[in-house]
Amino acid sequence: MAATATSTGLGRRLEGVVGREHVRTDEGALVTFSTDATPLVRGRPDAVVFPATAEEVAGVLRIANERGVPVVPRGSGTNLSGGTVPHRGGIVLVLTRMNEVKEVSDAELVAVCEPGVRTIELAQAAAAKGLLFPPDPGSHTIATVGGNVAECSGGLRALKYGVTRDYVLGVEAVLPTGEIIRSGGRLVKDVAGYDLGRLLCGSEGTLAVMTELTLRLVPAPEASVIGMAYFPGLAGAARAVSRVLASGVLPVTLEFLDQVCIGAVEDYAHIGLDTSAGALLIFGQDGDPAVIERDLQRMAQACETEGATEVRIAESPEAASELLEARRAVLPALSRLEPLTILEDATVPRSRIAEMVEYIQQVAQRHELKIGTFGHAGDGNLHPTAVLDPADEGAVHRAHAAFDEIFARAIELDGTITGEHGVGIGKLRYLERQLGADHIALLRRIKAAFDPNGILNPGKLGS
Amino acid sequence: MSTADIAPESVLERRGVFTPDLLDRCISCGFCLPACPTYALTGVETSSPRGRINLMRALETGLLADDDPTVRDESSFCLGCRACEPVCPAGVQYGALLEEWRDHMWKGRRRPWKVRPLLWVVDKPRRVRAMGIVRRHAGRGSEAPGPVNLMLGCFERVLYPRVSLDARELAAELAAPDDQGCCGALHAHNGEFGRGKELAEELGDALPGTIVTTSGGCAAHLASVLGPERVKEFSQWLVEREQPRAAPPEEPSLDRGGTRALGATPAETDDPRAAQAEPRDGAAAKPAGGRPRIGLQDSCHLRNGLGVWREPRELIARVGEYVELPSAAACCGAAGSYAIVRPKDSARVLDRHLDEIADADLDVIAVVNPGCYRQLQQGVKRRGLRTRVVHLAELLAGEK
Repeated sequence: MAATATSTGLGRRLEGVVGREHVRTDEGALVTFSTDATPLVRGRPDAVVFPATAEEVAGVLRIANERGVPVVPRGSGTNLSGGTVPHRGGIVLVLTRMNEVKEVSDAELVAVCEPGVRTIELAQAAAAKGLLFPPDPGSHTIATVGGNVAECSGGLRALKYGVTRDYVLGVEAVLPTGEIIRSGGRLVKDVAGYDLGRLLCGSEGTLAVMTELTLRLVPAPEASVIGMAYFPGLAGAARAVSRVLASGVLPVTLEFLDQVCIGAVEDYAHIGLDTSAGALLIFGQDGDPAVIERDLQRMAQACETEGATEVRIAESPEAASELLEARRAVLPALSRLEPLTILEDATVPRSRIAEMVEYIQQVAQRHELKIGTFGHAGDGNLHPTAVLDPADEGAVHRAHAAFDEIFARAIELDGTITGEHGVGIGKLRYLERQLGADHIALLRRIKAAFDPNGILNPGKLGS
Repeated sequence: MSTADIAPESVLERRGVFTPDLLDRCISCGFCLPACPTYALTGVETSSPRGRINLMRALETGLLADDDPTVRDESSFCLGCRACEPVCPAGVQYGALLEEWRDHMWKGRRRPWKVRPLLWVVDKPRRVRAMGIVRRHAGRGSEAPGPVNLMLGCFERVLYPRVSLDARELAAELAAPDDQGCCGALHAHNGEFGRGKELAEELGDALPGTIVTTSGGCAAHLASVLGPERVKEFSQWLVEREQPRAAPPEEPSLDRGGTRALGATPAETDDPRAAQAEPRDGAAAKPAGGRPRIGLQDSCHLRNGLGVWREPRELIARVGEYVELPSAAACCGAAGSYAIVRPKDSARVLDRHLDEIADADLDVIAVVNPGCYRQLQQGVKRRGLRTRVVHLAELLAGEK
């Protein structure tokens, strides 16, 4: 085995920066930081460090840079692309101790927070002042704001409100060489220099470690309503999505689930979903009550035109939030069927959804796989999920082959290999196919400019 | 590719410590993290349900040894409250995994020494009876079992004999033969699952018919062995007795869980969900003239294992102003033998509850489990709070 952190003195040097109680090098802790929420990828780190300030982060990075030790920044570890797995060993830098919401300003519509704040905590702090922080990924009760920015998370409201990048105004970040920089801030207009905040957003922890975020908020909508429509099959639901978007409505939420997903989520949440339906479309609007009513009518009509068998509206905010929380739980709920779920997030232009959905079903059939499909239909962000028995190695290989085809098709349809989960480890090999060689070469030069020794999250984006 | 050399657990050799189906179910999504009291204390993955399942997997494949200090410490640091279960979309049975873990880790000499005398005392019904002799409780040696029998408990009959007396006062049809031992929960949660099961079966033989217990923890363990039809927690039994054919609480009684057909008017508020939400708003409600302000400490296994939490709230709301504390559903740190095995951690877990009781200036905090009773009583005393700690049975009997 490789030399341990203790034997090389790395652990002791890290303790000198963050304090003894904030470094873990015991085998047990290293095992528990070997994974995130991604199946099948793991890697044992040499040390786990919990810094409390930007200065401590800088101290850790200087030590790592000097020794050429990999550093993997991490929040709550809900990543779905292996982005927080230390597959090259080194230091896992956990930022959850930096968990203060420093400011929520209703005068400036701005929030300032540390990276380890959980997304729902920021949303609640904003809501307390009548404001909304729109990005709400499925893991919003667990995941951290820092992780959301690093991955440019999407969520259920992206169709109308955009994704995390649309809310990043400024960042404080520590470079792998230890310097602390700030880019942007609380200004809506600021073009002094490259927009490094936007560059770091979605950089998957490969360029710098963010230690403070300044985020844009919007006034909370007056009301919000959720409805649902059942369809005989996913194709009808997909057509309804196109029809809704062509009807002049910009819904806040437009999510769909196929029959496999409806069954799994009902088994967990017991909220009375019709498990005999072929597909479920969840639609929602927020804003002025009169506008909501008009838009709901239009969306319902679009659904009925495309063959919806039943259209219903949530009675109360509680029922609406139950429905949305159930939707967020689809992925883990699918594992009730089989313990291995391989989830991808191929995304296509919204006008190509029906085509893509049909293609996924063909691929599943051809490879004899059970693939449940759900996703953010309104923005073309699909989550085809293969549900497998991990002992069946043949099925695992078939699933990889199936996703190869699905990614290739997504690229052909002017889509992307990942809408919101990130490239991480597993999708790096598809990236060049999508971006081209020149683009990849530029990414590598950018990476080298930030991180000359290649210590930050090596083997992932930019490598 | 970088992932090729990394094999999933399932294709590695297994030692047979854990039931494969139980261990494979977790997909590491992390939905359990915010629900875990020890993760809240430490902020360290290793002390979370997901982290502990990764430790169990490493133990199962031999990646970590039985005597690994982290594995050993985490097996006892976990409260075993099972708050991670209802929030787990994948349906991981963490409580069952923990029992298997402790069964393996705490064999013989490796069991925490403080637990050993407790297990010894409750291992034989005659020892349990002997403990109870010093106090006057509801049990009568000569009494024959009836169709519905009150469980007297082991430590409850010594520490809180009033509870069984009040339960019988509220429900005269409860028989309470003295010839009954411990339910076995203490064994099951402390590395002797087999013996815990036997004791539950023996109690089932001693008390044929329905068993009613004033201890939420005992109810969950007994129900897991004897079946939920035969075992009822006291508040659950009282409420079900009034509404014999009530729909199971998890089933929404509207046709499609809280939705209306398009075009239907959204007026009717007889939505059961809205009604259930009411007590939660109790904290904000204005105190009604002179009624006591009463909070509740849920029993973890009663809530997380049996899904019983509405019933005690409903009963409390009849005798006072019910106040839902923010951490009412979270473990108070008693956690069976935890308060004895890890007193410092137990007190840290309790602190937040005491803060909330003080902030809400409660008149009464009601409990439905003897462990929580002792834990809160000691905490309230230590802080010098004016709040009274009472068992739900005592609270209801006092109002009669």
